[in-house]
Amino acid sequence: MNLINNKKGDKIISVYWFAILIIVAGGIFGMVYIFYGTPYDVREIEANILTNQVADCVSYAGRINANLISNSKVSQKTGEDFLKMCHLNFNSSEEKVGQYYVEVKFYNLSDLNNPILNIKAGNNNWLADCVIQEKQKQENLPQCIEKSFYSVDEKNNQYIIKILTAVGKSEKNVKL
Amino acid sequence: MKKRGTILLENIIFIILNLVFLTILILFLFRQGSGAIVLEQSYAKNIALLVDSAKPITEMKLNMEDAMNLAEKNGVAREEIVKINGNVVTVKLSSKGGYQYSFFNSVDVTAYPDVSPEKNYIIKINGYK
Repeated sequence: MNLINNKKGDKIISVYWFAILIIVAGGIFGMVYIFYGTPYDVREIEANILTNQVADCVSYAGRINANLISNSKVSQKTGEDFLKMCHLNFNSSEEKVGQYYVEVKFYNLSDLNNPILNIKAGNNNWLADCVIQEKQKQENLPQCIEKSFYSVDEKNNQYIIKILTAVGKSEKNVKL
Repeated sequence: MKKRGTILLENIIFIILNLVFLTILILFLFRQGSGAIVLEQSYAKNIALLVDSAKPITEMKLNMEDAMNLAEKNGVAREEIVKINGNVVTVKLSSKGGYQYSFFNSVDVTAYPDVSPEKNYIIKINGYK
């Protein structure tokens, strides 16, 4: 009875109870917000798919695309021509700036330092970020994938093809 | 009499604040727990990646049972759930907004709900643009 009628005690319990409520609610808010607020990061998968699509375009079943190298003759391509040839569209109504970058380099097996054909397409601003990513991986920078493979032309001349792809889209994949 | 009135006022304020707090908390949890935002994002990205990796003349059936149930609950028609305009996929599971994600594959895509089973969505790659 004393405890119930003690008004000072009631007040202390009320404030204490209110403080507990704030802490619990704050905790739940925080946890739910962090859990649901973090977007799924699919940029690495996207960069891998882009690399595979480009690889299929420049060399299918181990043979270099004749539109690029035919009988040891190299056909220079602009970025736009390359995107059209490979059925890629890097422009989107959803994004103000281009979110993709592709660089394809063809090397003769005899000289792996100087590419005989270098094709660049997309937003080359991401290239600098790829260099930073090599040293230390940072989530808010574009995700870059680099792959290389071996291919031959119609006359069985051998080439090494290096593909570098970068996917921006940080706003959609990372909590900034 | 005056003192009793003060106690009553304090209690009323305390109860009102408690109710406000709990209401905000429940609303927040219901909003997040309904999963519309999370599912919209998940399906939009999923479909964009499927389209990116697909070749022309491909038909994909995507089980969207949870998304369709949620859309039905929120009053969104089945035909309105997935929209593909240009190279942007939009998934809408609630009356507000929707989530958009772009794809790079330059293909002509159509998306429509399956007739049977009803919980599937068909993504059809018709050809290159």
